[in-house]
Amino acid sequence: MPPRLLVLLLVLAAVKVAPLAAQVVPVAVERRLAERLDLGVGDTVRLGTAPDSLRRRAVVAAVYVPAADPTRLMRGELQVRLHLPDLAALLGAPDRVDRFGVMLAPGANPEEASRRFNASAFGYRAFPSAQVGAEASQTFVVVSRFHRAIGVISIVASAIFLLCIMLLKVEERRLDAAVMRFVGVRRRTIFLALLLEASVVALLGSLFGTVLAWLASLATNAWYRRFYDTALTFSAVTADIVLLGVGLSLALGLLAGAFAAARLVRTRPMVLWGRG
Amino acid sequence: MSPLWGLRNLARHPLRTVLAVLGITVASALLLDMVLLAGGLERSFERLVLSRGYQIRVTPKGTLPFDTEATIGPVTPLVTAIRRDPDVVAAGPILAVALHARHADSLLPLVGYGVDPAGQGSYDLLEGSDLAAADSAGLLVGRTAAEALGLSVGDSVRLVGRLDPQVATTGVQRTMVVRGVVRWLYDDRTMRSVGTLLPVMQRFAWPAGNDRASLLMVRARDDVLAASVVARLREAHPEVGVNSVTDLVGQFRERISYFRQVSVILGTISLAVTVLLIATILTITVNERLGEIATLRALGVARRTVVTQVLVEGAALTLAGGALGVLLGLGTARYLDTILTAFPGLPASISFFVPQRQGLVTAAALLLVTGTLAGVWPAWIAARAPIAATLRGEAP
Repeated sequence: MPPRLLVLLLVLAAVKVAPLAAQVVPVAVERRLAERLDLGVGDTVRLGTAPDSLRRRAVVAAVYVPAADPTRLMRGELQVRLHLPDLAALLGAPDRVDRFGVMLAPGANPEEASRRFNASAFGYRAFPSAQVGAEASQTFVVVSRFHRAIGVISIVASAIFLLCIMLLKVEERRLDAAVMRFVGVRRRTIFLALLLEASVVALLGSLFGTVLAWLASLATNAWYRRFYDTALTFSAVTADIVLLGVGLSLALGLLAGAFAAARLVRTRPMVLWGRG
Repeated sequence: MSPLWGLRNLARHPLRTVLAVLGITVASALLLDMVLLAGGLERSFERLVLSRGYQIRVTPKGTLPFDTEATIGPVTPLVTAIRRDPDVVAAGPILAVALHARHADSLLPLVGYGVDPAGQGSYDLLEGSDLAAADSAGLLVGRTAAEALGLSVGDSVRLVGRLDPQVATTGVQRTMVVRGVVRWLYDDRTMRSVGTLLPVMQRFAWPAGNDRASLLMVRARDDVLAASVVARLREAHPEVGVNSVTDLVGQFRERISYFRQVSVILGTISLAVTVLLIATILTITVNERLGEIATLRALGVARRTVVTQVLVEGAALTLAGGALGVLLGLGTARYLDTILTAFPGLPASISFFVPQRQGLVTAAALLLVTGTLAGVWPAWIAARAPIAATLRGEAP
């Protein structure tokens, strides 16, 4: 929070009024609110703590874009910023704040400093920023857990799909395998050839899947940025995710290919030829 | 020709069939979950809002119930005026404030509700008795608060209002007697809430003379009359916001649009996976059996019969996978629900995955239709196979 400004959360409590000359306080208005109320710099608004007590007149001194904050995303809150004394006067609570930030000297331990602050005075609680962040991000922890669970289900479905396709792909080679066996090609060579084919299919598939995921990620970000009018990143294809996806599909592809190829080379050539 | 020809072919390749059914099972389970998620939260919210039969909420203008700390006032004349409407059978104000209770040598933070027992739609009585109209010392406690404070019916507790933690002063302190243990309908799992008569709670929040409430719940004589009551109240009281359940659900729908979008995307992907799986398996199977199909055609089996058999094979795979998918989907829905209902601040009675006949039927119909249609391409290959050329190619 900027030191001399405090965020006042408004739920459409600002009403545009005719410009007034005197007794107005400056206010900075978030862009979305300015657009919704058709406000510009120099316009005058009435502010209050409740919709039925909009008593303070304020002049729009600035229109700003707040830092992208995921915790506010779905709440649809709109902000204005006032100088702290102006807001305190509006709330009828002079010289009071909800909270303030403390920057420690380099190397100082935030947990230890919080403990010292809490032990030294009564009437407030000090928290390390990491703890505040962890508690504020509970919603995202839940969403991440949900995404992870959906991810596991998707991986299971993809794995079965891959196993199925690999099995079919290798079984398609029944006649080829029979001919190779008839002309004296060793079982091991056929097995390795089929395994190589399976790994190429798995590799190509996973690379294509990566490109598809990257495009889907671009589309997701474009859609949700527009939908929520924010600069936040909603989907990111990281190296870890690519490695996991490619590694998993390669491993599964090889496993399925090896299983199917082993079944094929164990079968008698006449059976493969369809005459056994 | 036996109608089971297509099905027998599935039995000829047990491993392939099992894998295909497993794949369809997981994909259809995900599809079912997404169908339940798409409308579940909305239905659950609607059920919660209507749980006590109150179809209308009156809130500070521009706000949703309990969305901000804004209040309506003076509330008594407003309630009286609303109760005068011939189609209104009950109207009750609710005030929510921050409160503390003395517990051992510390102060436990609570949520305090001020209610009017004659028109309340915010709690269910579990034990003891409700508040009487003039019971200014009576208290209702939620289970979580009762457990945290070790309270049961008949116990006393000292409540503290308008606490200033900085200078450790309190505006008001009163000893209250627990009359009943209740379930607060809109509380999340961790909220410790207590309730008193509205005037008592107003004094915990402000000095005398503040006749204010967070919202009013209004019950119309009949659900079909709710819209006309809303219109009349809006006209008569433009200083407050009047919302029907439909309005509230609509605004709620906007907030949860993320889950609906996710469910549509993942549901579509599940269907695509199912279609791909069935189409791939049937195509390869048909290609393997082209000789057999050509022989049957040469013996006089109609093209339509061949097509039907391939489609039956696709439908059988879909049915088997879909049936297992329902079981798996209901299990995973319950698991996913336990994850999502851990959202902070979400009322405990809200569910994200609500099984409904319509949802189940929609998922089943979607799956069966797309699964069967997935066999169209392989069926076309089977039907169009040139008989003579195929038989020549198959000859030893």
